[in-house]
Amino acid sequence: METFINPKSLFHLLLLPCLLLYSSIAYNSSPVEAAMHTNNWAVLVCTSRFWFNYRHMANTLSLYRTVKRLGIPDERIILMLADDMACNTRNKYPAQVFNNENHRLNLYGDNVEVDYRGYEVTVENFLRVLTGRHETAVPRSKRLLSDEGSHILLYMTGHGGDEFLKFQDSEELQSHDLADAVKQMKEKHRFKELLIMVDTCQAATLFNQFQSPGVLAIGSSMKGENSYSHHLDSDVGVSVVDRFTYYTLAFFERLNIYDNASLSSLFSSYNPSLLMSTAYYRKDLYKRRLEEVPVTNFFGSVMETIHTDAAYKALSRRNSGRFEDEMSLDQSVHHIERRMLIKVNDGDEIHDINPEGEEGACKCPWSTFRNTFQKAENVDSLVNYGLVAMIPLLVISTWLVQ
Amino acid sequence: MAETKEKSLSDEKPKPRVRPIVRLGIFLISHSFLVSVVCCTAGVLALFLLPVLAKNTYISENALMPGSASPMLSNQHVSDGNRLVKDLTNPNSKSSETGIESHKIIAQYMLDLGAEVSFHKFHPQMNQFHPLHFFSSPVSGKIQENYSCSSYGINTVGIIRAPRGDGKEAIVLVTPYNALKSGFGEALSLGIAYSVFSLLTQVTWLAKDIIWLVADSQYGEYAAVAAWLREYQTPKFSSLSTPNAEMCPDVNNLFELKGHSISGSKFSNSFRRAGTMAAALVLKVRDQNEQFEDTISIYAEASNGQMPNLDLINVVNYLAVHRQGLRVNVEKLWPLLNSSWLKSLGEIFESLAKVAKSLYPKWKFGIPATEYVEGTATLASSLYYQALGVPTGPHGAFRDYQVDAITLEISPKFSLDKVWRNDILLRGGRLIEGVIRSVNNLLEKFHQSFFLYLLTSPSKFVSVGVYMIAFALLIASLPMVAASLYVDANSSSNCSKGDSSTPSAITDTDEHSIAIRSWRWLNSAKLVFIVHLWGAIVSLLPYFISQIPDCSPTTSFMIWVLLSILSLLTLNSVLASPLACAKATQEKEWALVKSVTISLVFIGLGLMSVINFATAEIGALLMVPMCLLARPLKLDVRAGTLRSFCRLICNLVLGHIAFPPAAFFLLKGMLDGFGNANVGDFWMWVESLWAWNSATYLFIGMVQLPCWVLCVSILFHTC
Repeated sequence: METFINPKSLFHLLLLPCLLLYSSIAYNSSPVEAAMHTNNWAVLVCTSRFWFNYRHMANTLSLYRTVKRLGIPDERIILMLADDMACNTRNKYPAQVFNNENHRLNLYGDNVEVDYRGYEVTVENFLRVLTGRHETAVPRSKRLLSDEGSHILLYMTGHGGDEFLKFQDSEELQSHDLADAVKQMKEKHRFKELLIMVDTCQAATLFNQFQSPGVLAIGSSMKGENSYSHHLDSDVGVSVVDRFTYYTLAFFERLNIYDNASLSSLFSSYNPSLLMSTAYYRKDLYKRRLEEVPVTNFFGSVMETIHTDAAYKALSRRNSGRFEDEMSLDQSVHHIERRMLIKVNDGDEIHDINPEGEEGACKCPWSTFRNTFQKAENVDSLVNYGLVAMIPLLVISTWLVQ
Repeated sequence: MAETKEKSLSDEKPKPRVRPIVRLGIFLISHSFLVSVVCCTAGVLALFLLPVLAKNTYISENALMPGSASPMLSNQHVSDGNRLVKDLTNPNSKSSETGIESHKIIAQYMLDLGAEVSFHKFHPQMNQFHPLHFFSSPVSGKIQENYSCSSYGINTVGIIRAPRGDGKEAIVLVTPYNALKSGFGEALSLGIAYSVFSLLTQVTWLAKDIIWLVADSQYGEYAAVAAWLREYQTPKFSSLSTPNAEMCPDVNNLFELKGHSISGSKFSNSFRRAGTMAAALVLKVRDQNEQFEDTISIYAEASNGQMPNLDLINVVNYLAVHRQGLRVNVEKLWPLLNSSWLKSLGEIFESLAKVAKSLYPKWKFGIPATEYVEGTATLASSLYYQALGVPTGPHGAFRDYQVDAITLEISPKFSLDKVWRNDILLRGGRLIEGVIRSVNNLLEKFHQSFFLYLLTSPSKFVSVGVYMIAFALLIASLPMVAASLYVDANSSSNCSKGDSSTPSAITDTDEHSIAIRSWRWLNSAKLVFIVHLWGAIVSLLPYFISQIPDCSPTTSFMIWVLLSILSLLTLNSVLASPLACAKATQEKEWALVKSVTISLVFIGLGLMSVINFATAEIGALLMVPMCLLARPLKLDVRAGTLRSFCRLICNLVLGHIAFPPAAFFLLKGMLDGFGNANVGDFWMWVESLWAWNSATYLFIGMVQLPCWVLCVSILFHTC
């Protein structure tokens, strides 16, 4: 068949995807960025070991508890703890970890799933989790199975310095490594938006190398500043929480799952005189306005109810949502349709219901065009007609080739 | 001297290129007189500046976190400790002749707490001089043949296992206790240790095992601890050692009785061990005290000037001062505190610092004069005890096994009412608890902070990087002076023979004589070698003298001196006779001898500074001026100028001071007064030095004494 290919038929072949693209664009304004926020993930990392770093584990466990309380399920949290303070022989309260000297809250109670513990917490494993390049034997529970609709919270705490973060007192993660991992994630469509929160000395320097869009970063201190612990528990004999994390937690303790406090309110809640350092956030890579992004976009989970008109219409409408991904690989329309029926993709519906969240920001003409289509309520029929119209085209192009 | 050097420089001028380092060397050698004066002055000045340069101590190891946990020792534990003190001071317990009763009481108390208890029986090892055992590790499997059942000590050892620990590490708490004649202080120290021990059996945070050693101090505190450590660190697998314990019925009786009275308990007859020792604390309470407030003295010096890690001292100091409100002391040389010249020196430094600060506000190095005097007194004592090389307490035994240990001596302001006793038990106990909890947090051996330091106060130290400067300055001029003397001696003899300063005259002399002349220093080297050989013989003599039975120190000393002189004369007549005839031909012989002597002193001091810095420093202070100034008295007398007269006086004074016994008596006189000085004292002192394997002994015998003899021979040189 290849020997008979002529430029004209090639042109037609190219035309077909374009047409398909056209119809799909009617629903999604731009191919990649338009992936909807569909799920939330959290990667929580405590990088330092040894008893006197008790507070780092307490920090991480506190964040773990908070994001769980705000709705991220356990299977979407990757928890990495470099040491086991709860079972340390020096712990006065065996199997318990506290982040406050009042000891009211045991962070290490029931239902704590630590995915990477002890010497598993290495720079290598951390980068593998982010980029998804695992050994085949690594179970699903230890993988970050995010997609292009994911909002990921990456929280790290430990000892750091100018553009590095120490892991296990033996190796270090450099800002280049982190930026590269994030870039790979972006290329592999592993996230839609990424919030990186770091509580360490000179945390801001860790963000210097980021280039990937959709990344929002906040650190506990500027270059040349130290991040300090909040208070000492004289009963346990160690500092139990860091200042930045303590005030972050204090902010979230006031919230429940339905609150929509914005990220900017979180960021402005940090008081430099209380932190004894300057919290720094980098938002030049982040498109949305912080005032309009609820913190639950990162610290909670997607909670919106999906409204559908009819049980089956919704399914058929989903078909077009996936077109732009599959069509260049697979030319068979019917095949696509069959696969689409199995796939679950409910991005469009969310878009409909939550217009002010996403569309407020993008002012491209496609959205207005799409809105008119949606209001006309004959979208389904249009799609059906479009598909029917494609069949003659397909026939013609096959004929031309032969 | 300098003129000839310039001449030789001008000789070398035609040569186009000389490497800068060579040129610098030649420059320094040619100005060796000036260099040596400047270096020596700077070295001495730097030594006196050390208290000013001292830095504040800080906790270097992150893991320690002293004082971060609130003390858990309660009044309950204190009353437990009080109970033990009462039982021990009860006259009934002292009825037994061997003091076994009190050991039983202590063991019973330990058992009641649920600790593992065992007795360790040992025979006190008398310290003996072994010529070849310097620097070697403590003798391990040596079994003494001539022990008797009447002389043995019993250490009581209690061990708490860390409930969740891995049993790999341990912290040792030592309380010396003499059951036969124990004072109230010893009982009180046991009470403090017991109250801490009773607390530690209950806590959940132990990561290291706790060993409480009640060391039987009737044969000396050090001997008991050393014997236990020897047993602990070098287990004996042969069956030879076991009969010792069973041969004496009394001890058997003790074991038997224990075994029966407490059936199914944790008492064991065998030697019990825990993990490797992370740190050791020796706790003592002084009986008599005239202090106005509760003080705690820290003794840290171990054998050969080894010190425990500074962090250990820091932790104790921090907890004592900031948590328990105790005053911390380190040893001072008290006579220095009242010396007026030191005070005026401090005032000079203070005013200098003020001037410097007014010039540039960021220069802040001044300390008040009183502080300076105290710092100097502490520094001097730190130097003195390190230089002596004799441990200042039972903690020294631990240092031999690389375990960091210090002795804490609590001196309470004395009164006998119960409130006061409870208070000292509570505060002392909480201090010990805090230190143990801090060390318990350690993850590795003590390694972060300094091992080489001098203390100028409990919270100030001079590190090795600073105090080495003073020493380096002091000895820096030695090689230059040696080189200069050598060149000088060679060239002057050249001049006298060639009779002119032109290069042609030198080239005229035949190569044979040049070769002979350039090897002439071997003669001097031979002399120096003989004297050093003699020094080695003198250092060995005490071993044989000590074999003589029933010899008083004074007679021993006399025998030693006689034998030394005899051996020197013999050696000289046997080996150095060819030298005498060669001497007549060479005028500058003494310069060559001096040159070789100085080189050897330099090497000796350099080596000693590695082994024991303090000894080298004090030795350098005595020897460097003597070596540099040494010059035949005849020459000075002949010259008759004021300068030569001054030099003559200096030479005579230094020649007396640098003689080791003279230096010893001078020091002793300054510290204790000259009234009760005795010739035998020096023998006693030397005996203690070799008994403790102090490298200072070797230094005195093999570096300082030969150097002194050589310098004296130069002084009386006939030329």
